[in-house]
Amino acid sequence: MQNGGPSQMELFDPKPDLKKYEGKVHGEKVEMFQKGSEGNKLLASPFSFYPRGQCGTEMSEIIPHLCSVADQLCLVRSMHTEHNNHTEALVMFNTGKIFPGRPALGSWISYALGTTNQNLPAYIVLRDPDGYNTSGTLLWQNAWLPAVHRGTEFSTRGAPVLNLQAAQPPPPDVQRDDLQLLAKLNERHRRDYPFESDLEARIHNYELAARMQIAAGDALDLGKESETMRKLYGLDNEITAGYGLRCLMARRLVEAGVRFVQIFPPVKPQFQPWDSHANVKTELEKICAACDQPSAALIKDLKARGLLDSTIVIWSGEFGRLPVSQNGSGRDHNRNAFTTLLAGGGFRAGCVHGATDEVGYRAVEGRVSVPDLHATILHLLGFDHQRVTYLHHGNEETLTDARVTQARVAHELLAI
Amino acid sequence: MGNCFSAPVADSNGQLHWAFQSLRPRPVPNVKNTDWPRTAIDHFILAQLERQNLQPAPHADPLTLLRRASCDLIGLPPSPEESQAFFDDKRPEAYERLLDRLLASPRFGEKWGRHWLDAAGYVDVLGGDNDAGIIKLGRGKWRYRDYVVISFNHDKPFDRFLLEQLAGDELVDWRNAPEFTSSILELLTATTFLRCAADDTDENELNTPDLRHGVLQHTAEIVANNLLALTVNCAKCHDHKYDPIPQRDYYRFEAYFAPAFNPENWVQPTNRNLPDIALPRKADIDRHNQSVDEQIAKAKARREKIEAETKDILFEEKLARLPETIRVEVKTAIRTVAAQRTDAQKELARDHEKTLNPKPEEIAARLSDDQKANIRKVETEIAKLNRSRKTYGIVHGVYDVGTPPRTRILIRGDYLKPGDEVAPGMFRALTQDAAEDGSTNLPAKQGSTSGWRLDLARRLTASGTPAAALVARVQVNRIWQQLFGVGLVETSDNFGVNGARPTHPELLDWLAGEFVHGGWRIKPILRTIMNSAVYRQASSTPDSPHVARAMKIDPGNQWLWHQRLRRLDSEGIRDALLAVCGHLNSAMGGPAIPIQSRPDGSAVINERECTASDASRRSLYLLQRRNYNYSFLAAFDQPVMALNCTRRFSSAVVSQSLTMLNDSFVTSASEKMADRILRMTHGPESSNPRAEVSLSFVLALSRKPAKEEAQWCAALLQRQVQRHLAKGVNAEESHRMALANVCHVVLNTSEFLCIP
Repeated sequence: MQNGGPSQMELFDPKPDLKKYEGKVHGEKVEMFQKGSEGNKLLASPFSFYPRGQCGTEMSEIIPHLCSVADQLCLVRSMHTEHNNHTEALVMFNTGKIFPGRPALGSWISYALGTTNQNLPAYIVLRDPDGYNTSGTLLWQNAWLPAVHRGTEFSTRGAPVLNLQAAQPPPPDVQRDDLQLLAKLNERHRRDYPFESDLEARIHNYELAARMQIAAGDALDLGKESETMRKLYGLDNEITAGYGLRCLMARRLVEAGVRFVQIFPPVKPQFQPWDSHANVKTELEKICAACDQPSAALIKDLKARGLLDSTIVIWSGEFGRLPVSQNGSGRDHNRNAFTTLLAGGGFRAGCVHGATDEVGYRAVEGRVSVPDLHATILHLLGFDHQRVTYLHHGNEETLTDARVTQARVAHELLAI
Repeated sequence: MGNCFSAPVADSNGQLHWAFQSLRPRPVPNVKNTDWPRTAIDHFILAQLERQNLQPAPHADPLTLLRRASCDLIGLPPSPEESQAFFDDKRPEAYERLLDRLLASPRFGEKWGRHWLDAAGYVDVLGGDNDAGIIKLGRGKWRYRDYVVISFNHDKPFDRFLLEQLAGDELVDWRNAPEFTSSILELLTATTFLRCAADDTDENELNTPDLRHGVLQHTAEIVANNLLALTVNCAKCHDHKYDPIPQRDYYRFEAYFAPAFNPENWVQPTNRNLPDIALPRKADIDRHNQSVDEQIAKAKARREKIEAETKDILFEEKLARLPETIRVEVKTAIRTVAAQRTDAQKELARDHEKTLNPKPEEIAARLSDDQKANIRKVETEIAKLNRSRKTYGIVHGVYDVGTPPRTRILIRGDYLKPGDEVAPGMFRALTQDAAEDGSTNLPAKQGSTSGWRLDLARRLTASGTPAAALVARVQVNRIWQQLFGVGLVETSDNFGVNGARPTHPELLDWLAGEFVHGGWRIKPILRTIMNSAVYRQASSTPDSPHVARAMKIDPGNQWLWHQRLRRLDSEGIRDALLAVCGHLNSAMGGPAIPIQSRPDGSAVINERECTASDASRRSLYLLQRRNYNYSFLAAFDQPVMALNCTRRFSSAVVSQSLTMLNDSFVTSASEKMADRILRMTHGPESSNPRAEVSLSFVLALSRKPAKEEAQWCAALLQRQVQRHLAKGVNAEESHRMALANVCHVVLNTSEFLCIP
């Protein structure tokens, strides 16, 4: 989740007209979120675009690593969303609606697919240990789906799971004996309640807890990774190491059978990593330096291991940015157009889908909404988005709520 | 829009939806087994059981009743002394006396206040709470939490309770009051009820029309969901898909709150706060503080004057160390006001200002003794002035801001597309007169306030109306839900057409009728339900032909052929752990105990900013956030408070087992419990493993262990002592650690975690 609103005009969506008419007042008055864009004057991108890979997709010079995997990417330049504030737009991108309280995409996928790994949760979140995002845990909440489908935060610093070990762990033989007594007492208690599935689950959970203490450590033991691998993800470089570690952990978790892994970019120096209100050039240089190489590494690594066919990679912000300048060198939020990168899992590789207007303000060709994207992802996982339902408040709820959102599978994005 | 006016309240069969009907007397049904019922409630339940060919479970034993009633009414397990007193009371009606004692306990308001705070969406923070690292405290919000606790302890009639919370500010002329009496303060505090929706507009960049409309809309939605169990948010954009709630009704209901939350005449949340003293007295204090500030400013100027010369000399000395060519530019740049500097000057100032400006200790070292003495005098004066500053507390209240604004329907919920104007009015599904359109009946103005919320409060509890009937049903259903795990209407937050239908509609209405006719009092309803045979049934369902048959007929137990086993809620678990280890601090009220987020994503009590005994107060008093609650409570399903929560869910996920095994709060509670046991049994030197094991059960489970349990535990105790000894721990400590192992196991049992 590339939160903050990556600028499509700087990264994925070249707009020569911005250069041609730089500084001119744009004909259409754009919708502002903050102050500073009242002049409505077009701002050219400081970066150059070139055709990349066999497919020739034009991408920016500032993301050389992502450019090197252009042939794996399905670039959707015609995304649009419903809100211009980070909080709501992030909630929308992750849950399908702008208001909080609905289950996240990962929760729906955990609910629909179940789990293949009995020792790890099905849905894991890897955020920067230094902080959250502006919508916090709303982006991986189960809401009214059963709690087991909530995203479990694994930390890339210290112990990966909260309370996986005690601060002063008891000797293994002491703990084993304690747990055996506990099992006996709980089984005895359960004789009076043979039909209570919660009691059974609780007994089972103590066994799972003991297994997880070993399995989580195993899955995340990066000591097993080669030097080449560490270099690929940029673990040898202070700037890329944090995000690189999360990308590498994500690959290990996917290998271990985890269904959905959600990765967040670094929150320093900027809490909203991609939120370039002030100086598009220098701010993007910083965040791209941290995120470009690890993002591309994950795609390359999955491809090399033959996992890309069965894994979907989604790289996206919650909205895009405006074609006009904010306070001279920045860009304000734009819900009317943004670009999403998709790779693997049945998405068409090496292609560009859709287009924005001449200045990149509005998606005009082949528009794809967030619910459309969700429907398409579920489709590739083998589900009809209208038939993955959960009864809540007496309503058959779905991720996409197609009756209201008109969500549809975007077949144009699919390989077959 | 609004085209379902023709038949607004009928369901697909042309029937009036059950929840929107007025209350009418419900005759108590006859039953075959006349021995079982203790109360009218039991007649309703048993009649249904007999119809289903089911039998009720046996009466629960005294131990079960004691723990159940204690957890349900005060949220704490009984102490060993309370248990003994109850078991020793062989007179008739010992159980009734137990209920009386628990209902009179100050702990009652803490437990039942918590349920209400959930429903109201109470949190201690102000905004959306989206950054784990930033806690934006709503100052003074805690007064409302205390108001709720006290109201429940006093059994304030619920209609009055609602009136105060919706319109306390409209009940009294506080604007012109010379003093805030405790009753004025109480009425203003009550209105924090309407300040529970997230409001981020105190940040200027978020003070936008859509966020302002959002606060107003969320406030109305929370009230509708809490009091009427309606989920109306879909009607913001279009007529409700299932319920007879046209979009027009959404905006009519919202309009009640518009004079207080006027998006066109918006008051940012911090400016909306009221003082806890009368306005003239606040003005006096503000004037006094302003004059103090002026005197302090003068004193500071005097100090600067004394230092000025020395400061200049030091500055020039430092400047002289720079290359001569840039000295003038640097000096000019620094002397220029920051906002007026050119880009070049900004750069120069950035590079040199810090190093060139003399530091306070450098200045102090150069001053003459006379100058130092003068500065000391000035500083004493400043300190004295600061001490003379007066303060007052904050009430997080609601009141009308200016004249009532017009409310317009927003097309597709978009504030940029206003449609027809509407006047405040009740949902038409709940008004008796189907032709009524509130736009002609504006409520009467009350002095300097619109009186609209007062009108709403009165309509919600006006006897004989469908609105009051729904309010009463929703409340008694929620009470039932707390005592049985599931309400008579399972969807306690949705009484609409798509919600569940009541399993016992006549009982629901009978209870609602009792509630209203008994003066809207909660405690008598609790006593009535808890005295019933259905509440007093056993929850256990050991294998038997009878149980097997009942499981076939009603596996979900909707007909209540046994009481339900329920897990303690998050607060109940933490409070029970504190009580059992003997460290619960039962102090009531006051500002919230601070919590803090750690880099690993967990949140803990901030023990640097509170005392150890504060850290042991009931969970109700811990700072409650919207998204990042104390990890221990979050693990046990303390809700994320997006809006409000009328029904807690109880999951059984692996993180709970990890928490109970490894969280330092639990391991430390186990050790404290072991120490408590050793103190009670006279220490490890005269160790008595049997007595100690027995006491661990009595403390945690209110009972002695069965024979085999005692044997298992004593054997574990012995083995763990040997293991600790083998690792070189001394005998006394080995015993203490081994006993802590046993306590830890007992605290991890399902029995400890459940209300039987």
